Amino acid sequence: MIALDCEDCFATWRDQARRLLGHGIDPAEVTWGQGPMDDLLAVPAPLPEGDGPFRARIPAALLAQLEQASRYRGEQRWNLLYEVLWRVAHGDRTAMLAGERLGSELHRRIKQVSREAHHLHAFVRFVPLPEALAETLQLDLIAWHEPAHDILDSASGHFAERLGRQRWLIATPRDGIRYDGKALDYQRNCPPQWQDWARNAEDPGAELWLTYYRNIFNPARLNPDALRQHLPGRFWRNLPEGPLIPQLVGQARHGKQRDGQALEVGMQRGKQVAKTAGQMAAELSAQRLAKTPAAG
Amino acid sequence: MQLIAKLGILADAAKYDASCASSGAPKRSSRGRDGLGATDGMGICHSYTPDGRCVSLLKVLLTNFCLYDCQYCVNRRSSNVPRARFTPEEVVRLTLDFYRRNCISGLFLSSGIIRSADYTMEQLIRVARLLREEHNFRGYIHLKTIPDADPLLIEEAGRLADRLSVNIELPTDASLKLLAPEKQASTIRQAMGVIYQGQQAVANEPRAPRFTPAGQSTQVIVGADATDDSTLLRNAESLYQGFGLKRVYYSAFSPIPDSPGSVPLAAPPLLREHRLYQADFLLRGYGYKAGELLGEVGNLALDIDPKLAWALANREVFPLDVNRAEPALLARIPGIGLRSVQRLVALRRERRIRYDDLIQLRCVLDKARPFIVTSDYRPAQAELRSGLLRARLREPQAPVQMGLWG
Repeated sequence: MIALDCEDCFATWRDQARRLLGHGIDPAEVTWGQGPMDDLLAVPAPLPEGDGPFRARIPAALLAQLEQASRYRGEQRWNLLYEVLWRVAHGDRTAMLAGERLGSELHRRIKQVSREAHHLHAFVRFVPLPEALAETLQLDLIAWHEPAHDILDSASGHFAERLGRQRWLIATPRDGIRYDGKALDYQRNCPPQWQDWARNAEDPGAELWLTYYRNIFNPARLNPDALRQHLPGRFWRNLPEGPLIPQLVGQARHGKQRDGQALEVGMQRGKQVAKTAGQMAAELSAQRLAKTPAAG
Repeated sequence: MQLIAKLGILADAAKYDASCASSGAPKRSSRGRDGLGATDGMGICHSYTPDGRCVSLLKVLLTNFCLYDCQYCVNRRSSNVPRARFTPEEVVRLTLDFYRRNCISGLFLSSGIIRSADYTMEQLIRVARLLREEHNFRGYIHLKTIPDADPLLIEEAGRLADRLSVNIELPTDASLKLLAPEKQASTIRQAMGVIYQGQQAVANEPRAPRFTPAGQSTQVIVGADATDDSTLLRNAESLYQGFGLKRVYYSAFSPIPDSPGSVPLAAPPLLREHRLYQADFLLRGYGYKAGELLGEVGNLALDIDPKLAWALANREVFPLDVNRAEPALLARIPGIGLRSVQRLVALRRERRIRYDDLIQLRCVLDKARPFIVTSDYRPAQAELRSGLLRARLREPQAPVQMGLWG
């Protein structure tokens, strides 16, 4: 049994996999893991030297798929990729198609990864820093995010497109990324200082967004299951609107559901709009017309 | 009035418009440039409210003062709601603040009618112009179009916005006359025509300035009047064909505070709305005709989805051999979606498709089973009568939601 560690880095894994493939090593004879090997009976063997005699032709599309799937955090993270690679290299292309057992798992991981990238684009919330602090830290916007897969590096360019010359930083429990208005700086291990800034940013201007969120909600259409399906609970604690969710659900269940209006708007004084002079004149002439007997 | 108080009122007033899409805009980027905002065709839902609806755009009214008296509308002239009006600069400030925070991907701005249709339209355009020209905002902008506004104003709006929409609200003249006396079906369609012509004028001109690149949409209210689903779907079909609309939105009528007697107080018909969206998707994505889904009059079934309903009514087409049938026909099998069709076609180039493959593709086999043949499966239920099949496949009906008044 060959035991390898690629430090969750795709480039390292790819080099290891290429060499294994060249020497015709079966997926059953290799395992990737961290720390002590799971299989106590296995005797660790080293990675063979050199490229090996077998030259496999790998479709470019497969490499892209493997790289995307490699961002998935979970059991058999690297072993599965080698199994797919090995089977396709030996002529079985169904291993990379969604209709097959192995391919189905590969595509499930790809889907989870791209979903998590989408979650980053959707649910990151930046806090604008006050001017003086922005000058000191050389940062305009700062965010804390907890992704479930390793997507920060590949998916954060999105914010450079959106935010122009703004300087921003996203810190996570593992990695972090910073943009100075010109270039991205990705850190595999997030500097503790970045985490500190992101977790403790004060936000005096948050109330506008919360007001919007409360008031755009239609209590007559209450459907918390649909919310949970699209906005998984694990994101709530890092969203400013997270604490409002149970509160608004409660209000709707206790009476607000009877119509669409927000509670705080309903408590304010209403005002009818007067008709314009033009509208009144038009109505008057319509009434007169109705009274006049039709000619001829 | 403070900005935050206005925001509360004008967001509350805007929630009855169902659309919040931010997809379909061309590729724009602010990387390394002054200004803010990007689009790449994909929409982003930045949050969800407890009604399960997506928050993608800042959706507000410029003002909820309104001269019209549409009975179904919370902002109608005679409604006793608090009123407010933003300045264009205030809307700009809110849009940019929410955008920087990554709470939204753009703005959806609508308005009550004040002074005149033209004046109101000018105010909406002014906000879009400030965003695009003063602040180099490259995010998504959707502007509501006022039907009676001057065509030149509508064209100007179309050059600034990614999407324009004119709301039909009620699809028949009779209903409009009854519930929205100041509105006319003819001017609504004229405005749609102006937008469509603007799109056609630049359709094959890659260098021409863009005109509503994310298309136009509209909304109809479901359940405020007696209009049936057949009328709604045929109307949608004619809009897709006649004006190249991107989307028709269906908005289940929510009871409004201080409701006039002319509109219902019942809970919004959410399941009916859901079935209409399913049927609408069959028109846009699957090539069904409205006439295939419903006869001249009537409503969609609530207990089964419209694709299953069509399959049950057309049993002679089935069972279909998944290894042979044309992709367009595969897409008509209940429980098999467009994406699964693509994947099945890719897989059957490599080898024969087995029943187990459909499980791996996560097709909804409970629905598909009676309608398919694979290399190792034939439905035992092929002979089963549609009525019995339907009884097996119908979705359990949730108890009708009881309001406190119920």
